[in-house]
Amino acid sequence: MIHRALAPALFAGCVSAAVQAAAADGADDKPYIVVDGFKVDAKTMNGFRAWRAAACDRCHGANQQGLVGPSLLVSMKTLSKQEFVKVVTEGRLEKGMPSFTTSRMVMDNTDGLYAYLKGRAEGAITQARVQEMPQ
Amino acid sequence: MAFLPLLLSIPRMAAANGELEKLISDPKNWAMQAGDMYNQRYSKLGQINRQNVGRMQVAWMFSTGVLRGHEGSPLVVNGMMYVHTPFPNKIFAIDLDTRKIVWRYEPRQDTAVIPQMCCDTVYRGLAYAENKIFLQQADSTLVALDAKSGNVLWSVKNGDPKVGAVNTNAPHVFKDKVITGISGGEWGVRGFVAAYDINTGNQVWKAYSTGPDAEMLIDPQKTMTWTDGTLQPVGENSSLSTWQGDQWKNGGGTTWGWYSYDKALNLMYYGTGNPSTWNPAQRPGDNRWSMTIMARDVDTGMAKWVYQMTPYDEWDFDGVNEMILADLNVKGKPTRALVHFDRNGFGYTLDRATGALLVAAKFDPKVNWATHVDMKTGRPQVVKAYSTAQNGPEVNTKGICPAALGSKDQQPAAYNPKNRLFYVPTNHVCMDYEPFKVDYVAGQPYVGATLSMYPTPGSHGGMGNFIVWDASQGRIVQSKAEKFSVWSGALVTAGGLACYGTLEGYLKCVDANNINKELFRFKTPSGIIGNVFTYQHKGKQYIGVYSGIGGWAGIGMAAGLEKDTDGLGAVGGYKELRDYTDLGGSLTVFALPDQVVATK
Repeated sequence: MIHRALAPALFAGCVSAAVQAAAADGADDKPYIVVDGFKVDAKTMNGFRAWRAAACDRCHGANQQGLVGPSLLVSMKTLSKQEFVKVVTEGRLEKGMPSFTTSRMVMDNTDGLYAYLKGRAEGAITQARVQEMPQ
Repeated sequence: MAFLPLLLSIPRMAAANGELEKLISDPKNWAMQAGDMYNQRYSKLGQINRQNVGRMQVAWMFSTGVLRGHEGSPLVVNGMMYVHTPFPNKIFAIDLDTRKIVWRYEPRQDTAVIPQMCCDTVYRGLAYAENKIFLQQADSTLVALDAKSGNVLWSVKNGDPKVGAVNTNAPHVFKDKVITGISGGEWGVRGFVAAYDINTGNQVWKAYSTGPDAEMLIDPQKTMTWTDGTLQPVGENSSLSTWQGDQWKNGGGTTWGWYSYDKALNLMYYGTGNPSTWNPAQRPGDNRWSMTIMARDVDTGMAKWVYQMTPYDEWDFDGVNEMILADLNVKGKPTRALVHFDRNGFGYTLDRATGALLVAAKFDPKVNWATHVDMKTGRPQVVKAYSTAQNGPEVNTKGICPAALGSKDQQPAAYNPKNRLFYVPTNHVCMDYEPFKVDYVAGQPYVGATLSMYPTPGSHGGMGNFIVWDASQGRIVQSKAEKFSVWSGALVTAGGLACYGTLEGYLKCVDANNINKELFRFKTPSGIIGNVFTYQHKGKQYIGVYSGIGGWAGIGMAAGLEKDTDGLGAVGGYKELRDYTDLGGSLTVFALPDQVVATK
């Protein structure tokens, strides 16, 4: 059993303004930046690209709502960054979650992937399909 | 010829497996997954009939101890029942006199296989021949067990799960060979079918779905295909010339469906799956011979004829669904027909001896990705608005019907020889499809498209239909709406019944002459994606089915969302299915009460 300390998540209810949220474990205080609900920073965009390349939607659903795999809109509310990286790296084989150690796309973008999914779970990123915000 | 010395290497003459033929000719057995070699799923048993089926009761139940999707059905051979499960692919041999477990077998498999099976751990069942049970494990190992003791006789590795080559299909015994395929189209696995000697496990032949003629067991001059309204040789490098560069090496065309066999022609029939990736921009060309009906000589593996249904797939319309063999009057002419309900929404009728295309028509009126199949070229006429290739990568093509899981997936249809009609469990689902570029990494998913699926708009609101189809004319005779996809294999019996399971978990039996007349329903412990089967023991007919929700039906249904923001409050699809059922794994067997049997 992993003991989880839950920090209060900042709720980002302000649409059409840049939103920054704190990660639940405080390890990363700026996981994502989002404007208008779907325009994200470069790191988060790469996280979305990793999400697509690894075909995460086949188990977790096109909108992260959950299919054979759990809803990430729910589980990412409480999963710490550290736990997230562990699951993506090692997988949960008996439950059907693969290990992505051999996927460079995923391994190079775990920060962005965490940011993207955190933004989805917190409701700040309002649609699964995101775009890169203009620089 | 008893005076001949026994020579092990003498090739047998054209007979099917004699013992297996004898077993399937006796309707008391259910000795093959489809009940026969023609994939007809028809039983001559008539004790349970349209008059008395309403009084049918549960006779006994059996829990497999495994959750997740239970596809296929048990086998029944000479008073023994052989039950299989999804991963870890357990087998139980049950004595039907005592209902005791005579032996059980559980292979040891690496759990790393589970994620490679995305998105469920289904296994479509066992095969039997000559006192052997054949198990096709998920990790690709093919095993022969002694049917009486469960002792392993031989085992052979069929593929490499490290690169995503796993198995979900049932092996099939034709003659002295056990024939199996491979899964992993979403991992860029190059599909093949392989035949192994039932006695030794030695590989007799192996035929790839893509690549050079020699590896495909294609003869450029003798292998025929429907061209310009007639049958013509495929010519040199018919596959290689339709791929760009080396893309065919990771080109898919996997073979995870149901196979059939015609003894008189000595041909086996099966279909190949989608070309990899799902992003058509990465593989310009017809991508032969993915999405293809194959007819092969069982002894040599050589392809007699091929017919590609969906050249240059842009929607993931695998062509693996069963090929049903039946002798029909097609447009007034007696025909040795092959009938196939494809994922792409078209029902095909071909001459199974020659490969001539006779009928191709929509078996769901809402199919919209193509207007029709040109009967001269055999090519579907694609509608530009629904072409994910023409719309290009990074564009979400919306409103394509059917969805990737097809107007029908692997759930097998049944044939009724009494009226020469087909009883088809179907899906009624549409999709949005956005392709994108993806790089191949061995052992990692290689998909390259994001899909959303939802109930067919502008219809009855449900996600399935159970239909009756006339394959001679290519028309729907009757249709019965279902709330969810009908993901269960159908059974038709001489008692005038058509039976199938539903995702909510009901076993339903309807009048074969009027499928909207429901005669029996019973809610089993979990959603049904297994195939209905029947057998007789000690004078009593039984009808049985696995329940255990899973497969793409139970999990691959993204909810019909108006907006992404509807996410958690989604209606339709899986979210709603959860209101009816949960995971399970059991067999439910039905029969008539003794007093009803006695008064027959």
